[in-house]
Amino acid sequence: MTARVSLPEVSPSDAELVQRVRQGNLDAYGLLMVRYRLRFGRYAFHLLGNESDAEDALQDAFFLAYRSIDQCREPARFGAWLFRILVNRCRTMAVQRGRDAARRVPFEAADIVGVAHPAESVVTREEIHRALGALVPEQREAFLLKYVEEMTYEEMVELTGAKESALKMRVKRACERLRRLLGEHRAS
Amino acid sequence: MRAEHRKDPEHDPVAERFAARLRDPVPLTDRVERAVLRRLEAEAAERRDDRSRWRKFVAAMALAAGIAIVFGLGVLVGRRSAVPAPTDAEVRSVEFVLRTAADSAVALVGDFNDWDPSATPLRPAADSLWSVVVPLRPGRYRYTFIVDGTRWYRDPSAPRALEDDFGTPTSVITVAHR
Repeated sequence: MTARVSLPEVSPSDAELVQRVRQGNLDAYGLLMVRYRLRFGRYAFHLLGNESDAEDALQDAFFLAYRSIDQCREPARFGAWLFRILVNRCRTMAVQRGRDAARRVPFEAADIVGVAHPAESVVTREEIHRALGALVPEQREAFLLKYVEEMTYEEMVELTGAKESALKMRVKRACERLRRLLGEHRAS
Repeated sequence: MRAEHRKDPEHDPVAERFAARLRDPVPLTDRVERAVLRRLEAEAAERRDDRSRWRKFVAAMALAAGIAIVFGLGVLVGRRSAVPAPTDAEVRSVEFVLRTAADSAVALVGDFNDWDPSATPLRPAADSLWSVVVPLRPGRYRYTFIVDGTRWYRDPSAPRALEDDFGTPTSVITVAHR
């Protein structure tokens, strides 16, 4: 994966902060968390569908990353390393949540149709977010990584371990389903 | 939009417009950091308590040894400390083996190393066999192998993880209690 999921050069750099964390400086870790909460909160929120689960996933990812900070071989790419941990944590939570049928109700397509306004020419962010929730988790993950996080398929293969052909199919199906759910004409 | 995407003929312009509306940061609150710092501080306090208990235990043993010498038992005379090194009896050594004609490297990633490809490299053995021994506490772990940094392989000798819904080849191992 490239440094796409890392932040632009800022001071102190991630490498400096990771070094301080390894010396036992918790404040430095707090700074890293603030930095990446803002950056990665978006992915966790759209994948899991709500702020509470997104915060839980981020907490777990930050906690796991701190405990294995010595295993971060490239501190300058802390963000990419953390993102991998977060993606795996979100997957686990999405699967667990998928077993709880009751929690899928807010994402049913019928709801989206119900809130649609025929006269409205542009879909809202909220409607898109809800439509995302109607996708199966692996399609939602692929769409978010490709279109929202703007990763290449090569980066997605490295991050997820899935084959490129499978990822392309998931993205394609996700796009088709979003178009159907939201109405192609409303996005133009 | 990223330059690669602009050139990609498969890039869906409608989906791109949907995605553009999702790219704003989601302002999750600082509850996240505060909760993590609380967990880390609690864990550090627990470690300090453990060390303190350990020091007290060592001091008590030293005192007991001193008393024994004073009373002429002589049992401990000439020996080093009888205090055993701390060990975790629950940790078990698990060997992971993969047969593959890798060109350069095989890595093990899983729940036990936060799926970090640089954390647990396998060492080459004879006949395209690669292996590594990992200390694991009892529990259930998902894992997979990454060959030459790009190809992911499920362990052919282990069950497939039920959570393998995302197409990532994932195996599962359960380490039992002794």
